[in-house]
Amino acid sequence: MSELLTVANLSKQFGEQSVLRDVSFSLEQGEVLAVLGRSGCGKTTLLKILAGLEMPTAGTLLLHGQDLRPVPPNERQMVYLYQEPLLFPHLTVFENVAFGLRIRNVAKAEINQQVQELLAELDLWEHAQKAPHQLSGGQRQRVSFGRALIIRPRLLLLDEPFGNLDAQTRADMQQLFLRVSRQHQITSLFVTHDSREALTVGTRFAYLDQGQLTSFASVGEFVQDARTAIRSELAFWENIQQKLE
Amino acid sequence: MSSKARPFRLPSPLLSLYGLLVVGLPLAGLGYALLGSVGLVGPLATGFTGRYWQALGADTGLLYAALYSGWVALASVGIATGLALLLVLRAQPTLRRWPLPGLLYVPLLMPALVVGFYLFQLLSRAGWLSRISFQLGLIPRLESFPELVQDGAGLGIILGHVLLTFPLLTLLFLAIYQETRLDEYRQLTLTLGASLKQFRQRVAVPVLLRRAAPTLLLSFIATLGAYDIPLLLGRPYPQMLSVYIANRLQRFDLRELPAAYLAGFLVAAALLGLIVLLLRLTRRHAL
Repeated sequence: MSELLTVANLSKQFGEQSVLRDVSFSLEQGEVLAVLGRSGCGKTTLLKILAGLEMPTAGTLLLHGQDLRPVPPNERQMVYLYQEPLLFPHLTVFENVAFGLRIRNVAKAEINQQVQELLAELDLWEHAQKAPHQLSGGQRQRVSFGRALIIRPRLLLLDEPFGNLDAQTRADMQQLFLRVSRQHQITSLFVTHDSREALTVGTRFAYLDQGQLTSFASVGEFVQDARTAIRSELAFWENIQQKLE
Repeated sequence: MSSKARPFRLPSPLLSLYGLLVVGLPLAGLGYALLGSVGLVGPLATGFTGRYWQALGADTGLLYAALYSGWVALASVGIATGLALLLVLRAQPTLRRWPLPGLLYVPLLMPALVVGFYLFQLLSRAGWLSRISFQLGLIPRLESFPELVQDGAGLGIILGHVLLTFPLLTLLFLAIYQETRLDEYRQLTLTLGASLKQFRQRVAVPVLLRRAAPTLLLSFIATLGAYDIPLLLGRPYPQMLSVYIANRLQRFDLRELPAAYLAGFLVAAALLGLIVLLLRLTRRHAL
């Protein structure tokens, strides 16, 4: 596999406050880096720097070996997905998904074909002509996902995208993300505060705390690290099971 | 005793009074104008006649006044909307800097008559701008100053209404921009590959206009029926609807009254139609 993204010694300061400190990691094509972290740990700032929406104070950002910093956000082909789906309220589901193609002046027939295929894949075809407010939370998130996928992003940046969904819908969306990620070989940086979600969607793992990123070489190391609190959760469930037995 | 809390209801006499004020009296006025237009009421009522309605086809005054008012309202609201959109989408950081936010409220506190009078003083051929231009040698005579008020195209009237409307629309668009999280949409559309121009054209403007549609229509209705500014800054011909109708109602010849009632009835009915449309829009956009 080829190295897609290299981040080295990345730092960001807002005034006196240091939000990211010497963050370094690399991502290969098709990998999903699950970054676990609590609120205010610098996750959103990291994603926004990668998307080009914030400038780093120091550090190196390379995409396929080329410096990313001078590249404006609309030329990076790195889609930043918020916790809220942020669908365009004045457009139908079809037009929301087609947005990335319309702004690139893709031919109408090509747009119709691509959007139809993607909507069918995301099980949204019957909702194509609906307005965003007519959809459920999970359906909206799927449309948002489709709107990002249609432009074949080089990197998908997900900022707790399923955080507002109920448990069942969230689990369904995680499975959908896994399926589509593998099928389209999408490289992603998936930020979450839920260790279970990180373990479900990630192929590689990292922990972000007070602006410092720790990358783990294996799932085992990630689980063993006390800061991820996975072991304590496992112990909790084992304790429950023992009581039931 | 039941402990269930009863929902608060407006006492029925108060509700009836409110209904009478906002619906009953205007409808009564409309009915009176309709009866007046067919000769059934008024100082010189002679019994039912359809001649004032038949004469409507030959009387182009009302039609011209309606067309002129439509032009002024459309141009005023159009320019004010364009200006407000431009400020909110292109100069938002400046707009949030002191003292601009406070200054935007100033025109909202001014009566239309004051704005009309101020513009007349400023822009008429005997006004300040004309005199300053003459003193600076920019024009040979005061009469050479361009006709900016009491002109045929209604430039002065339009300017007056733009001055009164655009601050309101700017504040409204600013509020909608924040409420609908358009700044987050901006960031999202950039990462989807859109330029700032595409974000403005394809996302921001449609979202702002859709949410502001009821207020824009309300501004259009208010300008269509405006009286003070057209009276001060308009010409005797063409006249805007309110001035046209008021002139006909105030003529000494009482035989003109039914035709004035008819004009008033038609204009009020058309405005009520627009208000019904406004109510539908308000329900749809829940603003």
